[in-house]
This record gives sequence, C-alpha cells and structure tokens, in this order.
Amino acid sequence: MLLTQTIISGLMIGGIYALISMGLNLILGVVRIINFAHGEYLMIAMYASFLLYSTLGLDPYSSAIIVIILLFLIGLATQKLVIEPILDTPASTKIFVTLGLSIALQNLALMLFNANHRTVHTAYQSKLINIGGITMSLPNIVAFISAIVIAIALYFFLQKTMVGKAIRAVAMQRDAAYLVGINVKRIYILAFGIGTALVGLAGSMLMPIYSVYPTIGTTFVLIAFVVVVLGGMGSMFGAFYGGLFIGVVEALSGLLISPGLKEAIYFIIFILVLLVRPAGIFSRGKGSEEVGLE
Amino acid sequence: MMNKILSQKFLLIGIILAALVPLIFDNRFYLNIFILILLFATVANAWNVLGGYGGQLSLGHAIFFGLGAYTSSLLFLKSGLSPWLGLLAAVLVSIIAGIVIGFPTFRLKGPYFTLATIAFGEVIRHIALFWRSLTNGSMGVNIPFEPSFTNMIFKEYETYYWLALILFLISLSFMYWVDRTKVGYYLRAIREDQDSAQTLGINTTKYKMIAMILSAGLAGAAGVLYGQYMLYFEPENIFNLNLSIEFVLIVIVGGIGTIYGPLLGAAIVIPLNEILRSSFPMLNGMNFFIYGIVLILIVAFLPNGLLPFLKDLLKGKLLNRKRVKSKIVED
Amino acid sequence: MLLEVNNVSKHFGGVKAVNNSSFTVGKNEIVGIIGPNGAGKTTLFNLISGNFPVTNGNINFKGENITNQKPYILCKKGIGRTYQVVKPFGNITVLENVIVGAFNKINSKDEAKEYSLEILKKVGLYEQRNQIGKSLTLANKKRLEVAKALATQPELLLLDEVMAGLNPTEIKDVLPMIQSLNDDGITIILIEHIMEVVMTICDRIIVINHGEKIAEGTAEEIANNDKVIEAYLGGEATNA
Repeated sequence: MLLTQTIISGLMIGGIYALISMGLNLILGVVRIINFAHGEYLMIAMYASFLLYSTLGLDPYSSAIIVIILLFLIGLATQKLVIEPILDTPASTKIFVTLGLSIALQNLALMLFNANHRTVHTAYQSKLINIGGITMSLPNIVAFISAIVIAIALYFFLQKTMVGKAIRAVAMQRDAAYLVGINVKRIYILAFGIGTALVGLAGSMLMPIYSVYPTIGTTFVLIAFVVVVLGGMGSMFGAFYGGLFIGVVEALSGLLISPGLKEAIYFIIFILVLLVRPAGIFSRGKGSEEVGLE
Repeated sequence: MMNKILSQKFLLIGIILAALVPLIFDNRFYLNIFILILLFATVANAWNVLGGYGGQLSLGHAIFFGLGAYTSSLLFLKSGLSPWLGLLAAVLVSIIAGIVIGFPTFRLKGPYFTLATIAFGEVIRHIALFWRSLTNGSMGVNIPFEPSFTNMIFKEYETYYWLALILFLISLSFMYWVDRTKVGYYLRAIREDQDSAQTLGINTTKYKMIAMILSAGLAGAAGVLYGQYMLYFEPENIFNLNLSIEFVLIVIVGGIGTIYGPLLGAAIVIPLNEILRSSFPMLNGMNFFIYGIVLILIVAFLPNGLLPFLKDLLKGKLLNRKRVKSKIVED
Repeated sequence: MLLEVNNVSKHFGGVKAVNNSSFTVGKNEIVGIIGPNGAGKTTLFNLISGNFPVTNGNINFKGENITNQKPYILCKKGIGRTYQVVKPFGNITVLENVIVGAFNKINSKDEAKEYSLEILKKVGLYEQRNQIGKSLTLANKKRLEVAKALATQPELLLLDEVMAGLNPTEIKDVLPMIQSLNDDGITIILIEHIMEVVMTICDRIIVINHGEKIAEGTAEEIANNDKVIEAYLGGEATNA
C-alpha cells in the first residue's frame, strides 16, 4: 500500500515536472536554444505568486492567471531582447549569455528576498483527500489535473490551430517554414512566451506544495532537462510522460533508497539518460544530433 | 626573435617581482587577496586548458577543486598522512574523477556537455553532504591549527603565498606547453570544428582526455593548498556551482584561450569580490548579480576577454607613436 | 590498386543512400565522381573517409581492409578529404590552420610551421597566412580546405565539390593547383558538378545515380553513355 501511495504521490508531483518540461520542450524544439535561465522563470513565478499572496492576500490558485500572463510577457521579452540578438552567435556565447542571465536573476532574488524559504499559508494546502485507501494532498491533485488539462489543450493548440501548426512547422523545418511565408521571428517569440507561461502555471501550482528560495530554479531546471532529454526532444507527449516518470522515480527513490539522496537521484538519472539514450525513451531517435552524439 | 627574448625578460622580471610581493605588502589583508588570486588563477588556468583551448565548457571544476581539498585533508585527519604526500593522492583522485566524468560526457555537444558537468557537480555535492561518516557531511572538514612543515600549515601568510606562487607558476608552464605545442593546436582544432579535426588525423577523444587530465589535476592541487590555507571547508561552499561559475567568469573576463588571461581575470575578480562584499554587506548576492551581468556584457562586447583588448590598445598606441608602417612580424 | 571499394552499401533506415557500389582507383589517377544531386556521392566519400560506418561491403586501401575505421586513423594512413561545406578553423590564423594538419606526420612545431608555409605557397594562400580563418573569401576558404588536407601528407585525397560556389575565374585558378597535386604523386578522387572540370582533368569518371554506379570510363565514353544521359536529362532524351 505504501508503494502504491508513493507512486501516486510521485505521479502528482510529476504533473508539475511535466508542465515545466513541456515549456522547455516547446522552446528547445522551436527556438533550438538551451536557456540556462529556464529554471529562474519558475523561481520568478513562485516569488510572484508569493508576493501576490503576502501583499494582496491572493492565494496561488486565484493569482495563477496573473502569474501566467506575467510569465508569458517575460518570455516574450526574453526572446526579443536577449535571445534574438544571440541566435547566430557561437554556442559558447549562447551558453554564457543565458548562464549570466540565470546568475543575475538568482542573485537579484537573493538580494530582494534573502535566502529564506518563503511559503504561503492557505486553508486548502494541507487538505488531504482519500480515494480508495490512497491519500493524496489537494494541491498535488490540482497540480496533476492542471498538467493533464494543459497537455491536452496544448495538443489541440499545436495540432488544430493555424498558429499551432505554424509553430510545429518551424520546429520541424525552419527553412521550409520561411519559404511558406511563416514569420519565424514571431513564432520564436510566441513559442518562448507560451513555454515560459507554462512554467508560470507550474510555479503557481507549486507554491502551495513547496517553498520558494532563490536557487530553486537550479533544482528544477535540471529536472526539466532530464525530462526533455528523457522524453525525447521535440516530443510534447514525451515531455509529459517523462515528467510523470521522473516524479515517480523521485518518490520511489525517496522511499526505497533514502530521502537524503532523493535530490541526487534525478541528476544521476540525467547522467544515465545522456549516456545511454540521449535521444530519450519516447522519441524516434531524433534527439541524438541535437545532443551531438559523435 | 626579438619578441621572444623580450617576453622572456618580462616573464623573469614578473616572477621576481611576484616573489617580492610579501616583502612589500607585509599585511595579512593584502596577502590574503594575493594568495586567493594565485589559487584561483591556477584553477582558472586549469579550466582554460579544457574550456578555452579545447572548447569544452565545464561548469563542474569545483568538483576537482573540492575533491583535491577533501582527499588530502581526510587522509591527513584520518591517517595522519602529510598533505605533501596527500597532494599526490589528491591530484590522482581529481584526475580519476576527470576521466570518469569525461569518458561519458565528451561525446555531448556544447551546452549538453555543460549541463552534464553541472549534474555531476550536484551529485558530488549531495554525496558529500550525505556520506557523513566519510566527509562529516554539512559540518565540513576542520583542520586543527598546528603549524609545521610536514602538516603544510604555516603561521606566516608569506609561506602560503610562495607556495601558491609556485603552484601558479607550475600551472603557467603547463599553459605555455599547451599554447606552443601540438597539444594546443589540436585542442584548438577540436574547439573550432571537431569533424574537420578528426579528418586531419586528430583523435579528438584522446586529446580531450589529455586536456581533462591536466585540467582536473591542476584544479585538484589548488584545492589541496586552499584546504590547507583556509583550514575549513564544507560541501556547500567547495562543491558549489557558484564556485565553478566563478572559475569560468575569471577566465572569460581575463581572456579565454590565452596564457595570461586567467591571471588577469583573477587579479580583477578576486579584489572585486572583496570590494563588493565590503560595499554591500547587507546585500548577499550583489557579487554574483554583478557577475551575471558582467558575463553577459563581456561575452556580448568583448568575447575574447580583456587581455586581447588591452593588447590591441597598446599595439595601437605604439604603432601610432612610431608612425612607421611595418609588417606584422610573426614570432 | 590504391583503393578498392567492394559492394559497399549504406542504408539510412529505409533509404539506400549507397547501393552496392564497387570501383577501384589506381595510384596517381585523378578519378571524378559525378551524378545528379542526392545520388549518394558525398555519402560514398563519408564511407571511404570513415565518417560513416558501412552497412555492407568493404573498402581496401593499399591492400589493407579499412572498412569502418575512424577518420583520424585513416588520415594517419594517408587518406585526406575536404568538405563540401568548408570547415575552416575560424578563430585561428590561416597558418595555424595548416599547422594543425601538418602535425599529422610532423612532431616538431618549427618543422610543422616551415612545411605549412610551403603548402600555403603551393595553394596560393601565403599572403593571407596571418588572417584568421573566418575572414577569408569563399574561394580562399576552399584553398584553405585543400591546404589543411594537403598538410597531412595524404596519398589519397578526396575533394568534395571543391569548385562549388566559385566563379569561372576562380575555377581557372584552382584547376592547375589540383593538377599539380597529382603531379606531385597524390591520387585524387573528386566529386564535381562542373562538367568542364571533370572532363578536363579526370583520367576516369564514375557516374553514380540513386546510390549505384551506372557507368564508368573516360570522359568521352561517359559523355556518350545512354544511361548517363538518362540520369541527367530523364528518359525522353535517350529515346529522342
């Protein structure tokens, strides 16, 4: 029973990982840039959620829409102001610029909020729901459901709408997309915005569960990269299932190995996945050129 | 030929002046800064071999630095082995770590390699925190202050300074070796275009490994001296991603892929650390906030770092003064 | 025979990029490989130079089976190649670019430098020796590509569309350079689209289409070969 309980809890938190990873996947797949600051968007989202709570008394679920819009705008701005200028520069430049952004944002948060963990206190966050003998916390369920809803919404958006198809076109074959008249620059901006907005949602969902601190981005961004590599870059479903998978693995390792090493587990998985199957488990082997297997 | 003799003279003068520093700045505060400059410049040199020349941008050099410190210190505290011998063990451990990390990650491209080094760093940090029986966990390693030569613990800062200087000069000689010989040419080729390098007869994995071994070993050695100087360290500060970032920042500011860039970078960043810390004592994080911005600005506007920029400035001035159109002499 | 390609195939999933190709190249020949776009010519090069592993077949060089050996090993054994999309080492000087190649057979830096300067004179890049790689014109980048490969002291040189992107004047300059390499004893296989080049300097021409060798012979024989004409112009032309 404990095992099932652990797996279910893992799935729930996996929903959040899935949201972050789908966001990263969208950006990686379309703009093709590794943004080292991706985790900092989660941090910004969570601090925003926290601030709205501590100043205006808005609980994270109510303020979610604000946070999502805020992060969407931040994503647009990042692409336009930071990423676009460096798209044609060597790989090292891209690494250092996004790394510099990550460091600056982290430490800005450190200066503004100091290193203490901040949490919200809402009526519902400690609520437990019992279904068939399995106890789940309400925030976890909400996070999980939101992840599913978004995954489905994203699927329809990408498959059925013109804009969504344009995004997929750019991800698949950028040069051909130019030729058929797609404004690739705008698609980049849109993709970055949506990808970041997804992280914004994740942040809002995460606030009742976790506390926020300046370096929370580093922890989660590596999870996101694990998930994306695991799920196969470019595959939205891969990112979704990968997120759930990592959630379960993390929960299980906390149970079976040790809570202390729980955090180290996904870094170890990251290394293993990169070594063994860089293209991920869900993809059709597309990722290996991106990862640069020789 | 003239250039070579001239630069050799400058080097000699530089070394003599450097050796005399403790006699001029006979003050703990300043000596501390100089020692840190030399230690960090050594690690920066080490990073530069793999990252600057080889193009493999590691954000995990704190791993080797920390492993060096832990290896010699734990051997000293647990079995009384003199850190002088522990130094050899530490370098060996760091090299092995480098090989273990490099082996699976060298086939990854650019940012993925960097991510993998971050991941390794985090794993090691967590293991160090977790394996309390070995490392004392988050309590860290505390070396009792019992000065003696065999303990590699000294009352006088001067001795630490001269040791750091010797270590730095060793690393500098390795830099010359890399820059001037086949190894350096091959590394640069790998950095510029790996496919083309392979086609020209370069076993890219072998040379990346050579760079890694040198890089990890030097960083480990610096870690040993750091441990012996600070007499205290713990996983959060010595296996910290921020430390790895600081090493990289130093090289980028000073001049990536050059012999003296890392030294220049350290000479700027370390004192800057102190200045920022004392100017903004309340604002924890100001240092690195500025470093983040600096990183972006340097990479955007002065991608080759300050050293080449200053060199060009000087060249421009001298040529103007002479007002002679001369051919650029290849030395 | 310097090079023997025996029933070599390369499959990418369902695509047969190279399908059961065989040919030989004798010492000191200049052999041209031609064929429509996408015929598998560069893939063939990639198989010979070790960039890709073969799916079937084997390749012999100087009597030794070199199938699937890595590019750097083959370079040491005497096979050099240039890339269609040039790959100069952009941030180091032209001279340093060539020195990298020279280190293949020379260990001393001073010797490597001397040798490289000679190579640069040979390909006509001596004046540009201190420019950094990425600042060169396309034509000069092509020369640099050849210079780098040359510095490795190859016995067999694979030139992949060296002339692509050059204007007629530039082509007229590069042609004699290639001929002189051959005069110095280097066996050359070149992939080309520009017919005058191929017809002028090649001893023998191999025509590839859909990954298969469809014809082989001298320039005249090829020009009159029905299959070749069909491959380039389509079926109707032969029946006309």
